[in-house]
Amino acid sequence: MPAEDPGAAPSTAATRDDWSLLMARGQDGDERAYRSLLLGISPYVRALARQAGLSPTDCEDAVQDVLMTIHAIRHTYDPTRPFGPWLAGVARNRLADRLRRRARLWARETELTVEHETFVTVETNSIEAADEARRLRAAVAQLPQGQREAVELLKLKELSLKEASALTGQSEAALKVAVHRAVKRLRTMLSGDA
Amino acid sequence: MATTEDLIDSLAGRLTPVRRLRPPTIRALGWIALATLVIVLLALLRGLRVDLREQLREPAYWVQVGGAWLTGATATLAAFEISLPDRSRLWAALPLPAAALWLYGFAFGCLAHWIAIPAGAPIVEDSVRCLETIVMATVPLALALWLMLRRARPLRPGGTAWVAALAVAGFADVAHLLLHVVQASLLVLLVNLIPMTVIVLAGAFGGRHGLGPAVGRGLGPTV
Repeated sequence: MPAEDPGAAPSTAATRDDWSLLMARGQDGDERAYRSLLLGISPYVRALARQAGLSPTDCEDAVQDVLMTIHAIRHTYDPTRPFGPWLAGVARNRLADRLRRRARLWARETELTVEHETFVTVETNSIEAADEARRLRAAVAQLPQGQREAVELLKLKELSLKEASALTGQSEAALKVAVHRAVKRLRTMLSGDA
Repeated sequence: MATTEDLIDSLAGRLTPVRRLRPPTIRALGWIALATLVIVLLALLRGLRVDLREQLREPAYWVQVGGAWLTGATATLAAFEISLPDRSRLWAALPLPAAALWLYGFAFGCLAHWIAIPAGAPIVEDSVRCLETIVMATVPLALALWLMLRRARPLRPGGTAWVAALAVAGFADVAHLLLHVVQASLLVLLVNLIPMTVIVLAGAFGGRHGLGPAVGRGLGPTV
């Protein structure tokens, strides 16, 4: 199949004749021939989509879009002419449309920040909650290394004392003390901010 | 979302036989015949220009009418060709030499032999009659061409609309040149170039709607 050379229209004589014949039968309503044609051309269209720089998910969407377009305009194919250029023309035009649409979308899109996120409960959607989370993260970043590590592992990542101890090499007792001091210090820092 | 294999099953499952489009040359000839018929009907309805015999002896007139007709004919063929996915975009350049000849005809006929607007000439009445003819030619031709091109569901609706609008403008101007006497050079330019420019721009921006793309308006071909 021409997947290895997707830039040009499929060119082997056998492929051209086969696809042309299958399409002509499809135009006459031969379901089996039409299914064989669509299955046969899918890898070629997929290779074209990949070559156009689409992501794997976008690629599959693009392949389906091309197949639906082929179905919608199948009456425009002239069986006395080669099928390859017709297929390549459809695929290239639809891929170009998709890339243009994507470029327009990107030009208008803004990246989502924490403030844009919404959650199930009302209180988690408040801007104040997001602000508090940011303040807490900033305060944790200011802690001494040992305390910061203990808070991150035990409170934020919610590891057990045993797991945290194995990860850091510190004793469980030392981690407990570090967390206790860190919480005390954070309380002071955050109440001072407020 | 359905997989590609599911989609193929679904498309093959609802497959119906389709009537193939005729070759673009045949379809273009069909529309040119229709355009000629519209011009003949307009001539019967409104009468040919009274000075046609004298005008036919003027090379500038031949260049104007020939340029407009050639522009219309070549643009028609180009529109039907580029409405198909396997035809080159270069077809859009086919009417350009004829369009250049058409514009040259006006430049040669008007600017080289400038005739000022005579005092007391019924400028408004003449212009209105000219515009009436142009509208009467444009509306049926544009509608017929839009319907014919729509059957191909062009994947390049913008390019197709541009050349299609040029085709309509060319034949509308042939009708105008055969039916109306406009002596003053300025009026000749105004009643030809301005309406034709409007037709091309309106066709290019408005005509693309409904021409393509193929998907998103149902999956069945417009047979």
